[in-house]
Amino acid sequence: MTYRDLPWRPPLARDWAERMAEIEAVLSDGRAPDYATLKTLANQQLGMREELRVERAAKKLLKLDASDQAFAPVSLGLLGNRTLSYLPDPLAAAGLARGLAIASFEAPYDSVASFAFSPADCFGRSLDAVLVVLDETAFAGKRTLLDRAGEDAAIADAENLADALAEAARQKTGCPAIIATLPGAAQVSSAELATPGSSARFRHRVNLMLAEGAMEGRWLLWDQAALASRVGLETWLDPVRYHAAKIPFSVDVCPVAADNIASVLAAMKGKSARGVILDLDNTLWGGVIGDDGLAGIRLGQNSPEGEAFVAFQNFILGLRERGIVLAVCSKNTDEIAREPFRSHSEMVLKEDHIAVFQANWSDKATNIKSIAETLSLGLESFVFIDDNAAERERVRQELPLVSTIEIGDDPSFYIERIAQSGQFDHLPLNTEDISRAESYGGRAAAAEIRAKIGNYEDYLTSLEMRMTISPFDDVGRGRITQLINKSNQFNLTTRRYGEEDVRAIEEDPDQMGWQVRLQDKFAQHGMIGVVIVRKAPREWSIDSWLQSCRVLERGVEQCVMDRLFEAARDAGVARITALYVPTDRNKMVSDFYGRMGFEIAARNDDGSVAYVYDVAAYAPHKTFIDVEMQEKMEA
Amino acid sequence: MADTQTILDKVTVIIRDLFDEYEGPVTMETTADDVPQWDSLSHVRLMVMIEMELGVHFSTSEMQSFRNLGDLVEAAAKQSG
Repeated sequence: MTYRDLPWRPPLARDWAERMAEIEAVLSDGRAPDYATLKTLANQQLGMREELRVERAAKKLLKLDASDQAFAPVSLGLLGNRTLSYLPDPLAAAGLARGLAIASFEAPYDSVASFAFSPADCFGRSLDAVLVVLDETAFAGKRTLLDRAGEDAAIADAENLADALAEAARQKTGCPAIIATLPGAAQVSSAELATPGSSARFRHRVNLMLAEGAMEGRWLLWDQAALASRVGLETWLDPVRYHAAKIPFSVDVCPVAADNIASVLAAMKGKSARGVILDLDNTLWGGVIGDDGLAGIRLGQNSPEGEAFVAFQNFILGLRERGIVLAVCSKNTDEIAREPFRSHSEMVLKEDHIAVFQANWSDKATNIKSIAETLSLGLESFVFIDDNAAERERVRQELPLVSTIEIGDDPSFYIERIAQSGQFDHLPLNTEDISRAESYGGRAAAAEIRAKIGNYEDYLTSLEMRMTISPFDDVGRGRITQLINKSNQFNLTTRRYGEEDVRAIEEDPDQMGWQVRLQDKFAQHGMIGVVIVRKAPREWSIDSWLQSCRVLERGVEQCVMDRLFEAARDAGVARITALYVPTDRNKMVSDFYGRMGFEIAARNDDGSVAYVYDVAAYAPHKTFIDVEMQEKMEA
Repeated sequence: MADTQTILDKVTVIIRDLFDEYEGPVTMETTADDVPQWDSLSHVRLMVMIEMELGVHFSTSEMQSFRNLGDLVEAAAKQSG
């Protein structure tokens, strides 16, 4: 099996065709199919025919009303100097496998320059992202061999084009550009990288320039170059059709390219995995700890297999560093399963890296459910890693939303397969992402304490929580935008704003944006809430109120509400109004304003509820958090 | 040389899969003009599917010379012979 066959996906199920036929029948009726079933069917090793059927199902799904089906809608612009017409169908299919409904809109042929540099807007609609796939000819200025200054100028031109495209995407379609890196060029010599003006060297430099821009947040990356070299350039490029049909890569690699692009979009939409659940025996070490004992398991010690397991543990620890929370789920006696973590000298993973440790003899599906509950994460946030195909199959049947990766039975391949799956794909990291795993670990520890303490108020006090509230600013803008676009459950109006909108709110004297951060004695939770208020002299109205579900029932909202009414009182405002707009995801806050003491002002025809609260009548809450208001809070 | 009927049968299955709305006959004389869904986009895909299914590879000049399915089937038959 080659990379092109997506080997990390589960194998094609025996009843695939029958189950797909049921989905097709539902779609033909114009109804929405079952989310987990269709996602599962799309996320398997598909042959050409199956791929075709999934593409057709995806196209029908895209015609349904977005609110009627559970796949997260993504509208994607496609812009290239070659045709990208072969991408929309495979992209729609690959999206389903990651829980996305990707609708693509291709710009007319050769509209790169006009999109970048003229007022013309070839999309004419708002999008979630514009994918820009250019080849060397679009970037290349005039270069002469060994002319270093000429090469520098060509790179500057390339950067100028990238900036113009990113800016056009922001202004015309209100979204970021995702720019593709350039795959390698033919190597005339082994000194290509040391030969200024050569194609290979130019492409390398363009890619580094694109990487720098992505780190600075000017655009996002699709690392086409990395994918092409994994697939193999020989397979990636189709010289015959490059010239005949003007396509940037071979038609038969479209499914793997689409999968790779979909993983970038999934990361954008917050659909990437947040946790990994690990089996122990033959997954983290060779052998069975209960049978072989500490001295008998194979881990490190210069045995090839043992070293492969050490490398794998290092890889897992690296995931934790990127903010992925680790959990263990093993059929074992708890005390025995913990022994290697405590006493084996070659163990890389230690007990305190593991947020939840479930070693018992119950069914794994049951244990996984309880891990998800303990960490307050949805099942879809988890990847389950187990060397045992039967256990993977069982989890797939019981919990189809948990991702299971085909890691094979040789530990030397585990890392590659997990990385290939793109399940942990992420955008350029910031420091808050990195502290996330710690935060989840802290939360699991907090849950244990909570169970012990019993009295909830004592528990909240024992957390030693500290909150800061500050106005929107440069530092927070990225995370603010992320929260605005990712929060579904604790989100009262679910209004989505891009980074430019957030900047506008910052600068508008008639609006006020608050970012809320929280820490406690276990963890730095980072930014966990955003509030946007529109201000009139006598009345403020809450435009958006959203919180991360990482910290629920801590009294966070009560604290912020107290401060909001204080600020309103100081500004001489008479009342605050608010709105709840129901979605299929935010039922948990349907009575939020009621609980906060607001009165219902109107029930609107669209299901939304308007609230009002007189500032003079406001009754502050009992809270357990030290609050610091930062900077000049203009009232 | 492989049996052209066998190859045409395999190609027919692919055509029925790819152009699911077409219910007319598939013969050696069939051309893209006969099948409404058969545009330049799906043409490339059809060629890839046929190449993969039959384990053959058509050159640039071969592909340009196909006037109908019969030409394609003959070319494939020669290669798999």
